[in-house]
Amino acid sequence: MPRYIEGSEVRITENDKVFVDVEFYTGEKFTELELHRMFPITGLDKYISLLDSQGNEIAVIRNINDLMPESKAVVESCLKEYYMMPRITRFIRMSEKFKIWMWTAETDKGVCTFEIRNHLTAIKPLYDGRVLIKDANDNRYEIPDYNKLDKKSLKMILPKL
Amino acid sequence: MNVIINKPIPDKFADGVKGLFEKEDCLFAVVGDLNLKGRYAQSVAVFTADKLVVFDECYENSSITVLYSDIENAEVKRFYGNAVFKVKLKNGKKKMLLRFSYASAEVADAAAVFVNALNNGENLTQELETVKSVYHKQRCFCPKCGRKLPNPEAECINCASKGKLVSKFGKYVIPEKFSLIVCMVLSVIVTALSLIPPYITKIMVDDVIPAKDSLMLVKVLGVLLGVYILQYVITGIRSYKLRLAGDRITLNLKKDIYEKAQYLSLNFYDKISTGSVINRVNSDANVIQAFIMKVTQEAIVQGFTLVGLIVIMFGMSWKLALFSLIPVPIVAVAGRLFGKIIGPKYMRLWRRSASISTVLANSIPGVRVIKAFTNEKQTIKKFTRYCDEWYKEDKKVAVPAAVFPSLITFLVTCGSIVVWFLGGQMVIGGSDEISLGLLVSFVSYASMFYTPINFFANMSDTYQNTLASAEKILDIIDAEPEHNFGEGNIPERIKGKIEFKNVNFAFDRSKKVLSNINLTIEPGDIVGIVGTTGSGKSTLINLLMRYYDDYDGEILIDGENIKNVDMKYYRDSIGYVQQEPLMFRDTIFNNIAFGSGKVHVEQVIHAAEVANAHGFISKLPDAYDTMLGERGVGLSGGERQRVSIARAVLKNPSILVFDEATAAVDSETEHLIQGAIERLISGRTTLMIAHRLSTLRKANKIVVVDKGEIIECGTPEELLKQKGKYYKLVEIQSMGEQLQKRKAEENFE
Repeated sequence: MPRYIEGSEVRITENDKVFVDVEFYTGEKFTELELHRMFPITGLDKYISLLDSQGNEIAVIRNINDLMPESKAVVESCLKEYYMMPRITRFIRMSEKFKIWMWTAETDKGVCTFEIRNHLTAIKPLYDGRVLIKDANDNRYEIPDYNKLDKKSLKMILPKL
Repeated sequence: MNVIINKPIPDKFADGVKGLFEKEDCLFAVVGDLNLKGRYAQSVAVFTADKLVVFDECYENSSITVLYSDIENAEVKRFYGNAVFKVKLKNGKKKMLLRFSYASAEVADAAAVFVNALNNGENLTQELETVKSVYHKQRCFCPKCGRKLPNPEAECINCASKGKLVSKFGKYVIPEKFSLIVCMVLSVIVTALSLIPPYITKIMVDDVIPAKDSLMLVKVLGVLLGVYILQYVITGIRSYKLRLAGDRITLNLKKDIYEKAQYLSLNFYDKISTGSVINRVNSDANVIQAFIMKVTQEAIVQGFTLVGLIVIMFGMSWKLALFSLIPVPIVAVAGRLFGKIIGPKYMRLWRRSASISTVLANSIPGVRVIKAFTNEKQTIKKFTRYCDEWYKEDKKVAVPAAVFPSLITFLVTCGSIVVWFLGGQMVIGGSDEISLGLLVSFVSYASMFYTPINFFANMSDTYQNTLASAEKILDIIDAEPEHNFGEGNIPERIKGKIEFKNVNFAFDRSKKVLSNINLTIEPGDIVGIVGTTGSGKSTLINLLMRYYDDYDGEILIDGENIKNVDMKYYRDSIGYVQQEPLMFRDTIFNNIAFGSGKVHVEQVIHAAEVANAHGFISKLPDAYDTMLGERGVGLSGGERQRVSIARAVLKNPSILVFDEATAAVDSETEHLIQGAIERLISGRTTLMIAHRLSTLRKANKIVVVDKGEIIECGTPEELLKQKGKYYKLVEIQSMGEQLQKRKAEENFE
């Protein structure tokens, strides 16, 4: 069974943007651990695995909201650095040439253009209105709720869902 | 100056980068699409012979210069959805220099290897060539359609087979042209015959009945009966011929999709669900067939009817004919509008329907697991949910699909009311232009006139539905198949020398699975490949089997690139025994003979004997004729494994690959399988992936793979002396075995 971190028994400090140092109240220290979400799609704040440079799991944070405020801030900042799944707020353009679709979208990380070769495999609508997109380069995007998109964007994406 | 770049230099840094190009001897540049804070922005890293200059808005003065001599190590660290080029400086500091999405990850990888190689004193020109080849591969796209090509010389499948939908599906119609033409002629005759009865009505109303001529009435009705008999006999013949022609079209289409599906690369199947492929072979082919029949038959017949009716109606009364045409433009516009509304809805409906097929394809073969875990209710719930989703979508399609034809029919009815009103007025007013009989006959023609109009209006619905299916079928037909570049290049004999040269591979850009694999295996070598689960052992074999071609570097067989050898011949030369051998629903005999063409019974028995399978097969009531259930139900794991070894024996391959062949069996069965393997491998190059090191006792070479890299390679004795990972594995396993032995002895005592 993994070693679960419940909350205040650890102090987590930043090592290098995506790496953290962890000190347990027992005195055990681990440096340069990488944070991995065990449920990057369905549970952003829960079950965060801490891996050493060899990929061995040192511990698992059950819920980052139970950590001490400073540790929580460090974990959140590292996860933000590590995970990049821009949230699409609207679609600006879509063009198709020889079965390759170029989408230009406005996201919370700025405007981007990505390429999709097969909508069937690239776009995965979930039941709660969320839509996950994986482009031709394996980059990921998310529409938090397609029902909340503006009319123009909806018209573009709806036939592909 | 020829600086290699992966994308155009962004405008923001154009001046700075160009200035640098002029001042320095720049070699290549990596253009990124994110800034260091992870927002979409422009960034560039320019590499020279001794330093790299990074342009990013997050730096002070928008750029930073790092000398290679200050760098201890450069690497590309892949995060989730993005990656960074980072360096560890000699002063111990780490620095993230450039951030980018996966689109630039491969070129950045090459850049990191370049920097490290130069720091290790490697030759600049040689390293630059490696970088160039990665950039070249990145830009290996078809200039016409942008599709990625496996190599610069490869022909683009998409463009080679480019053409309209009509020409793509036309090839299925051409072989049936004779039958279809006959059917069309018959249809035209039927249509012409159907135009006669209204004219006979006119004769009866205007001439026969007012003249009270009973004999004439019988004669006219006799003609009418004759027309009807002829009409229905011809319709029967036509339907029969049409059905057969239609069946042949579907058959050929299904065969082609299935055939194409067999030759698609595993990359395709990694990304697509089986249900979706099944849906395409089954339902979509039928939709296309129905549409082809509709276009080649009904559309032509209806067109002919339309023209014939217009001529007749204008001949009877041009005024009434003009009034009858009033609803036509409305119907045409409504049809177009309808297509726009319903097209996307049909696409969505298709996705739901494919999802249902996927659930079926997933759950039905897994029925044993479902029962074992008493998960029936959840499985039903999941299926119901998918069906409900489909129903929800179908309801959305049902509204326009039901309203539109009704609307058209209503318009058509209004048209006939107008004709009755105007024609009735003319007859009542005693106009010379029109008689009562002619009006009755005209109304009959007018009602017939709207049938083709209705047909063409509804065509857009069928067309949209077909378009959705056609797109899915073309997805398979136009998908890139496995490239057989070396077709026809059949070497006399494969001796079995295998070389991996600088092989790098990733299933997708988010994670590298194999890095820098260099390995030479001599003919007759027995090579044990060991490593932890997920270390890349099986991927190594997948590349050797040519399941994936999209790797960097080269794999050579007897000095020749495996991509340049005829694929069938090449794969035939390899006997592959998998961890979980797949059996087909067929007899044991056919399962052993699978892939070996026509073989003699005794060859199969001999193969089974070599594989230690003959003993158990001959004890079965139906012996070699025993029919196996799906995926080999009826045999134990060890028995299935021995059948699959017999399959490999029968092929008489030059190279043998065992992928954890004894992983899932007990010690006794392992002993039997081991015996079979040892008989089989003599004189053949053999690669064995094994967790249990005891199975590798015959190996003269051991390769230890860890995290996608070969970390140790040599004879077992050499590796034991090194006291590395292999030594540790041997120690752990021998401890375990000793413990087991001791326990067994204790129990025995």
